[in-house]
Amino acid sequence: MSRLGLATAAAAVALFAAAGTIRADSQDYELVERGRYVAVAADCVACHSVPGGKPYAGGVRLDTPFGALVAPNITPDRETGIGAWTEDDLRRALHEGIGRGGKRLYPAMPYPAYTKMTDEDVRALWAYLTTLEPVNNAVDVNQLPFPFDIRLSMAGWNLLNFEPGRFRPDPRKTEEWNRGAYLVEALGHCGTCHTPKTALGADEDDRALEGANLQAWYAPAITTDTRTGIGGWSKEQLVAYLKTGANHATIASGPMAEEIRNSSSKMTDADLAAMATYLLDQPPPGGEAPARLAADDGRMRAGGAIYQDSCAACHGGDGAGQTHLFPTLAGSGVVQADDPATLIRLVLEGSRGVATDARPTAPAMPPLGWRLSDEQVAAVVTYIRNAWDNAARPVSAADVGKVRRAVAAR
Amino acid sequence: MSSPHPFHTSRRQFLASTAMGLVALAASGAKARTLFGTGLPWDAGAADPPERVPPGPWTVFTPREGELVEAIVERLIPADDLSVSGKDAGCAVFIDRQLAGHYGDSSRLYMQGPFQPGLPTQGDQSDLTPVAKYRHGLKALDEHCRRTMEGKGFTDLTPEQKDALLTDMEKDAVAFDGPVGSGSFFSLILQNTMEGFFADPIYGGNRDMVSWRMIGFPGTRYDYRDHVLKHNQTYPLPPVAIGGRGDWAMATGR
Repeated sequence: MSRLGLATAAAAVALFAAAGTIRADSQDYELVERGRYVAVAADCVACHSVPGGKPYAGGVRLDTPFGALVAPNITPDRETGIGAWTEDDLRRALHEGIGRGGKRLYPAMPYPAYTKMTDEDVRALWAYLTTLEPVNNAVDVNQLPFPFDIRLSMAGWNLLNFEPGRFRPDPRKTEEWNRGAYLVEALGHCGTCHTPKTALGADEDDRALEGANLQAWYAPAITTDTRTGIGGWSKEQLVAYLKTGANHATIASGPMAEEIRNSSSKMTDADLAAMATYLLDQPPPGGEAPARLAADDGRMRAGGAIYQDSCAACHGGDGAGQTHLFPTLAGSGVVQADDPATLIRLVLEGSRGVATDARPTAPAMPPLGWRLSDEQVAAVVTYIRNAWDNAARPVSAADVGKVRRAVAAR
Repeated sequence: MSSPHPFHTSRRQFLASTAMGLVALAASGAKARTLFGTGLPWDAGAADPPERVPPGPWTVFTPREGELVEAIVERLIPADDLSVSGKDAGCAVFIDRQLAGHYGDSSRLYMQGPFQPGLPTQGDQSDLTPVAKYRHGLKALDEHCRRTMEGKGFTDLTPEQKDALLTDMEKDAVAFDGPVGSGSFFSLILQNTMEGFFADPIYGGNRDMVSWRMIGFPGTRYDYRDHVLKHNQTYPLPPVAIGGRGDWAMATGR
């Protein structure tokens, strides 16, 4: 037998072995593959894995306003994962927020969004999860203080805040629009970060996607407001952002960088276009822009000097930045957000953009918190928010101190 | 013209083909790699900024040594229509604070000997730390003055007398008692005075960026794209230091 023949035979054996494994784990390759895509679009890995750890083996700590929760192990390990679960257990967890054995889940698990998932997607996701390698990793999920550690309290919460039910397409809209709505509202659960929360931690439904503060980041508005939202972006620009992490104006960083790396950069172009179609078709939320600060305001003067010396080299005297390298500040939603937490944080500790296959550079911004006092950060941030055609409420040194302490505590 | 021996490989051809092979190997090894920006070091909030020197009294010098150094730097950089004096720019403070750190005790240098004179091109071969050199040099200078200038210390001399003495020291023509010669002591303090005058104000000298304003140095600016094409025009921006500049402070009111 020739050498080539040997190699071919070896490859064939390997192929057989691989095919055998798949058959053993699941009935249906297409279903598993669809489930894998559902898991990507739902970004399960974001919470259910630690960076550098085994995927889906649990372990990310979520700091909620009520205390800490740790995402559980969802590999099919019988002892520490969901190996003892059935497909119906998963369905009930996603659709009703009730785990195996009637255990109430906390809405840090976004079941208020996943309740809209179709039965087919749940079935596919279950098929995929069963093919994962079981990892024995016990996770202490519930680290909430009393009384929030009592899971039954979630029954009352659900009564007040939770509306179970599958996604209902709008027959007046196109199929693409409805696919986008499903991805945004159900799988993508964009509102989990981007929708403001009530005192009870539930979505403020009448302010959907208007921006929210969590884990010392402000997830900016993704409404069609042209000042604070993404109303000025075209469909192509929004798709480019979700696919590559960067577009004409900005580069994703912070938790959105993780989302893009794990989830939206791996979604199909058609799905991203559907999400953009839906998001950009929403009516703008209204509300008036605050009056711009006068150029001779003391904060604008000091902030302008700091900007010229510390920021303009990259972001430009005109705030235009440089596409794919330095984000545009003029007209930016993050810059003009009502809550300046993200902007302050970027100035204090710098930032690194996301690296994707399409844009692997991941440009970074150096921290300035060592160089600027709280007053100086407040001045430069106030300046950026009111320079060019920007308009947003001024930022105080106390605002900066709050973010500085929150970042230092992490 | 064809080669008489088609299969004969000359030495030159052999070397060339070997080199080509190596290049090909290297290229094939590099081809499959994608470099991601996230592989480069970056940590949120990570910075290793210089510490602003503490204000207040001398940290290394005795009061008398401080007086002597101030008197010397005031003559090395006298106040004139270009700038304030080296003393008023903080050069003595700069030297004192530098001597308090690893420069002063040579803790980052090999100091175990053997110590040999060496050639001038081999640089400083002394077993003395800069702190010791200042202590010996300043003491020798003051003693020399008291011995030869009717009992006056260096600080009691007229500016002309100081300049004459410093000029002689520069020529190594003053007999100093102790292990530090007048010439090497002069070059040490001249070097440190210039460093203090031109270094960032965060280190104690160059007060209010006085030397940078004098020579038109723009300081810690990062980028000049807005000005690159403005030929034959004066650069308009003031210098900026690591600690910022005066305009960063909020004006009174509002």
